[in-house]
Amino acid sequence: MSYLEEDLKAALRRVEAPPDFTARVLERLAAPEAPKRNWWAELALLLRPPRLQWVALSVIAGTVIPIAGIHEREQRRMEGEMAKQQLVYAVRLAGSKLHHVQKKVFEISQTDRHL
Amino acid sequence: MKIGFYTFMLLISTGLTAYGQALDLKFLDRLASKASETANVSLDGSLLQMAAKFLSKDDPDEAKVKQLIVGLKGIYVKSFEFDADGAYSESDVTAVREHLRAPDWSRIVDVHSRKQGENTEIYIRTGGKGFGGLVIISTEPRQLTVVSIVGKIDLDQLSDLGGNLGVPKLELEKTKPTKKDD
Repeated sequence: MSYLEEDLKAALRRVEAPPDFTARVLERLAAPEAPKRNWWAELALLLRPPRLQWVALSVIAGTVIPIAGIHEREQRRMEGEMAKQQLVYAVRLAGSKLHHVQKKVFEISQTDRHL
Repeated sequence: MKIGFYTFMLLISTGLTAYGQALDLKFLDRLASKASETANVSLDGSLLQMAAKFLSKDDPDEAKVKQLIVGLKGIYVKSFEFDADGAYSESDVTAVREHLRAPDWSRIVDVHSRKQGENTEIYIRTGGKGFGGLVIISTEPRQLTVVSIVGKIDLDQLSDLGGNLGVPKLELEKTKPTKKDD
């Protein structure tokens, strides 16, 4: 027999209910149903300490964390855009100087050739 | 001149990859008070990576820049424009050259234009340890520009970018020249 089968057998073995099980079920059935709270009562329950503290904390966290995230993302985007602008400027400036030199050298060489 | 030209063209045409290390250009900051316009770019490795993320693959120009900067460790630019001649001295340029001595650095080209008073020097790092690099010193009567590029760069590609695209208008820091001398 494999370990899996043994494990399954062990997990699904028959367990007898405790002796007072039937009595407890009958007792629960006989007990009066708890009155249903309306939504207002449910809300009011949330506004009582200590739940109020947790609700307030959740509201604050739920507001502040997304705002901070958006702000952080916007900040990073702005920094990235600025870095990109600087990069493009620097590359083109260097490129234009190099190109200018290349052109000058070529012109001088052409002049030399004609002489 | 011919030898210089052929050497330069050979370096360009073979797509020479220049290596370098960051050049300390802080000493030039004192010129900012005299300059009418100042451009200061300082992008280290992390900033370059950040900037690369914002370069579009769909834009052909930006795609070229993205490809160019793959092996770079940093780009640093100091550019000053002055309202009058003689606002900077030859010693300022000499101080930059002091950092670019042989055997680590080689000046691959030096172009003078007596007529316009322009002078452009290009140095590449050819030896020593480090990432290597490229330095361009460009001087005009009313302008001084130093570009330092650290890392592997394809000069051919860089030249193409400069030739085809030109220099974009960067939001230059406008500084009022002060009368006092440093």
